[in-house]
Amino acid sequence: MVKVYSISNCPWCDKVKKYLKSKQVEFTECNIEVDEAALDECRKLTDDDAVPVTTADGKNFVLGFDKAKLDALLGLSS
Amino acid sequence: MSIYDFTAKTNSGEEKSLGDYKGKVLIIVNTASKCGFTPQYQELQELYDEYKAKGLEILGFPCNQFGAQEPGSNEEVQTFCRRNYGVSFQIFAKGDVRGETAHPLFQYLTREKKFEGFDEAHPIAAKLTEALKANFPEYLEGDGIKWNFTKFLIDREGNVVKRFEPTTTPKGMKEDIEKLL
Repeated sequence: MVKVYSISNCPWCDKVKKYLKSKQVEFTECNIEVDEAALDECRKLTDDDAVPVTTADGKNFVLGFDKAKLDALLGLSS
Repeated sequence: MSIYDFTAKTNSGEEKSLGDYKGKVLIIVNTASKCGFTPQYQELQELYDEYKAKGLEILGFPCNQFGAQEPGSNEEVQTFCRRNYGVSFQIFAKGDVRGETAHPLFQYLTREKKFEGFDEAHPIAAKLTEALKANFPEYLEGDGIKWNFTKFLIDREGNVVKRFEPTTTPKGMKEDIEKLL
């Protein structure tokens, strides 16, 4: 399952979510401002405090809204 | 009318008088709300660490009037947001800084110091102008705030000494700050 770590009022997070939806990618969203377990996970993964972070396997991830990198990560055709 | 007559809500909700900053050198800056031109947060924090003991205070006003618009898709423009601002200077409540709904403090600041153009030498200047033309052409008119991280430098007597556009990095303000400290 694809996971998107996000915060509230984050236009880049919205763009990632919208993009994934447009590609019919199912994902779960974890808001790291309210979910402390998700915050820990996200920090361990990226060693940072920035979002959106998209991951499918919990090891490889894309930080930010970058269509090309998201396509590569999730094996999407553009 | 002086800068010390204004009040503003902090991000924790208390009303703060700018009169509390009498005698300090101030940087008043509209910041991105956790997104956008974020390297400037870090540089502002570095200025604060360096000059706080000598009497510098930084007042950050988050605003998302520019937030969701990116001035280009190059490396300098980040496509992410941060959970924390990651700074120790005072952050005020989110609000508007331009137009009729602008905080009166910013109406005052932009009357005191007019827009004199971007620093064209800065790598972002051309893209910023382009993005403004495409998305907010009306923002290019007049003296209102053009984009995140417009910085106003205030002396110890409350005079608005200088306005720095987003195209001047906080580090580039050092000489002017030192003159006032």
